[in-house]
Amino acid sequence: MKCIITIELGTNAVRIFAFDLNGVVIGSMKGYYPTFHTQTDYSEQDPEQIFITMLYVLKNLLNEKIHVKKYKVASICFSSAMHSMLTVDKNGVPLGNAFTWADNRAKKEAQEMKESTLADTMYNSTGTPLHPMSPLLKIAWLRKNDPAKFKQAGKFLSIKSYVIHQLTGEYLIDYSLACATGMLNIHTINWEPEALNYAGISQEQLPRLVPVFAGAGTLKKAYQNSFGLSDETKILVGSSDGCMATLGAGIWNSDKATITVEDSGAVRMVGNKMLHDEKKRVFNYLITENCFVSGGPSNSGGGVFEWFAKQFGDFTGAYDIESCMSTLLEESTKVATGSEGLLFLPYLLGERAPIWNPDARGMYFGININHEKQHFIRATIEGILYGIYSIGKMLTEHRNIKGLSVNGSFATNPFCSQMIADMFNEPVYITNNANSVSVGAFLLAATEMGIFKSLDEAAAQVQVAKTYTPMENHHTTYMKYFDIFESLSYKLSDEFTRIADLQ
Amino acid sequence: MLQFHYQQGSAGKLALFPHILELSAKKNSSIQLHSFPEEVAEGLCIYFIHNGKFEWKLNGQHYYLFPDDTIIVLPGDKLGNDKGILELGSIFWIRIKVQCLKNGELVLGKWSSLSDTECAAVGKLLHLNNTPVLSRLTETGRILSGIFHEIHHLELGYVTRVNQLIDELLIMITRQLTRQSNPSRDFSKMFMKMEDALRKDLSHQWTVEEMAAIAGMGTTLFTERVKSFTGFTPINYLINIRVSEAIKWLKRKDVSITDIALDTGFYSSQHFSTTFKKLTGYTPGEFRKNNTYTD
Repeated sequence: MKCIITIELGTNAVRIFAFDLNGVVIGSMKGYYPTFHTQTDYSEQDPEQIFITMLYVLKNLLNEKIHVKKYKVASICFSSAMHSMLTVDKNGVPLGNAFTWADNRAKKEAQEMKESTLADTMYNSTGTPLHPMSPLLKIAWLRKNDPAKFKQAGKFLSIKSYVIHQLTGEYLIDYSLACATGMLNIHTINWEPEALNYAGISQEQLPRLVPVFAGAGTLKKAYQNSFGLSDETKILVGSSDGCMATLGAGIWNSDKATITVEDSGAVRMVGNKMLHDEKKRVFNYLITENCFVSGGPSNSGGGVFEWFAKQFGDFTGAYDIESCMSTLLEESTKVATGSEGLLFLPYLLGERAPIWNPDARGMYFGININHEKQHFIRATIEGILYGIYSIGKMLTEHRNIKGLSVNGSFATNPFCSQMIADMFNEPVYITNNANSVSVGAFLLAATEMGIFKSLDEAAAQVQVAKTYTPMENHHTTYMKYFDIFESLSYKLSDEFTRIADLQ
Repeated sequence: MLQFHYQQGSAGKLALFPHILELSAKKNSSIQLHSFPEEVAEGLCIYFIHNGKFEWKLNGQHYYLFPDDTIIVLPGDKLGNDKGILELGSIFWIRIKVQCLKNGELVLGKWSSLSDTECAAVGKLLHLNNTPVLSRLTETGRILSGIFHEIHHLELGYVTRVNQLIDELLIMITRQLTRQSNPSRDFSKMFMKMEDALRKDLSHQWTVEEMAAIAGMGTTLFTERVKSFTGFTPINYLINIRVSEAIKWLKRKDVSITDIALDTGFYSSQHFSTTFKKLTGYTPGEFRKNNTYTD
């Protein structure tokens, strides 16, 4: 019996799944690794710990779930968080930690680039918004602020490229993850010379570009022995977590969109051409030729609600944030749609799409003497989802959205799923496997094996477990509030900057 | 409040307790100059504010103290009042002789019935502690007057009881310390803090008890929470950190494998080698050969 293993190098943990060839999960395990915030705006991870954690978890999964049942591993397919940047010397030895997607130290570089004449050409060629998360700007930051390390740099890698290099000795990056570096020209499918020029690097300093289906070389002998695998197990370079979550949600070349809300969130669609947004708010990640995942990311998801729960929740049972959050959710259902006039801006962590304002901050607006705790709970949830809706609305300027596939722990809470359906006035579908990133990576690997003819066919296999139907009257109410939400989000721009300066 | 003052060597009452340097209850009803100048503490000192309001300086930092506060002063800490005076009010204190290891950890004497691991954990936590004032802790006052009563009345079994009470005091304070510095809501924050402590002292032979105590939890709950949060048992998670750090050193030629093993907390280079090979498929030597380059 053959099986496929997917490895997701996520924001906080590696998640490894094993699927049989029918897509049934045989087993899964995760391993956490830490993020270091040594200074404001810094967010780093240790590449060695990520690698070791991945090895440890993979080995346990193989020994406990795969070898004992005599499964033969046909392929191992990778996916990872986007925008990470790891500098290695000419021998491939890391020069310190990797900068994660959440690292904002290149704030100034991003602002300068946005205001420069390069901004338009860069967006047109790379299809990605200019933001400090982008490795393009991180490298520019390094050149200016740590010239010694910059000079010593042999290569600039993503975490995934580093891990794959450890396993097979190849330096590779797939098109979709390369898009997230802000340096790939999505029309020529090559590194954009103007981007490299701006960063001050040559293309030899970047990993080799390959399609998402590409083999990533053969496992080194020592790892074959240690894992109990042979050289017949294919290592697939795979894609990014965002693109795989979209595929795993069954959204492919259709007028549906997918919404993911975990700690943070995103709204994505798939189409055969780049969404060219005049305000440069939409990202476009190339998956295969003429196939783009387009959308917008949000900083404000379940993490914001968790913040609320920590401050105002009831913690009689020690440490149990989950039960505290579900109690709060329950309480909030007692309040009518719209929280009786209380509105929340969820920008505690600044915001990316659609306002792309790192200085944006949170706010409760419209508080009156009758508002009670439960109004604040509901307003908080509504505010987070208005933020998600605003990304959807931005996408509808380019393409119609008919139906939504929703995943992620926050968004798949029934109360939130219904709220999303009502806000968008579109049906919401929940698929039967909550871990859509892994499902996406499985579908990719299965397509590579020839089980499906194309990714479209693979995506069509994803089954819907539950549907939420929108309620027209709620939609009308939400839209009245959203109107105020949207105008506050832009109108307060000056005040956001002034208060952020004081923080 | 009953006042008393026992000092090692002078009263005779402490003859059977060489580890108690001082035991006092003082009601201060007049302010005198030079009554409380800043001085370096000898032994482990635990003060309890019974009455009054005090402003003390500990290691250069000001603390406002209120009734029922407990202050922990480690050997070598500098304690006193800015103006050198003891303010009005009443306080208890006990001063215990402890052995102070090079790395700052404390070791109690044979009198204590704490096991070696427990003792190491208490020592470790008191040393790591950066919140020397525990507020609203009436227990300290109760235990200190208990110790005084035992020594004063000399009832059957008093030697054992006194030592038990000191153990109780140390356990109670250490537990409270970890609880107070971990407001219980945020496991991930607490975990990061514990992680940081492990990294700062990776060569230490950490036990689950110590790790759990930093988190302010019992080992059962702690192990369960770490498992669900990280996917690993606390000890296996620690091994991840050890091996990841070792890899970084292996990639540099200038450190010997034995030094790496000990610096990253393995018992021996043999232990390091086995663990490393089990995880990566390479022995540390092979790994180094594949990964170091001469420039």
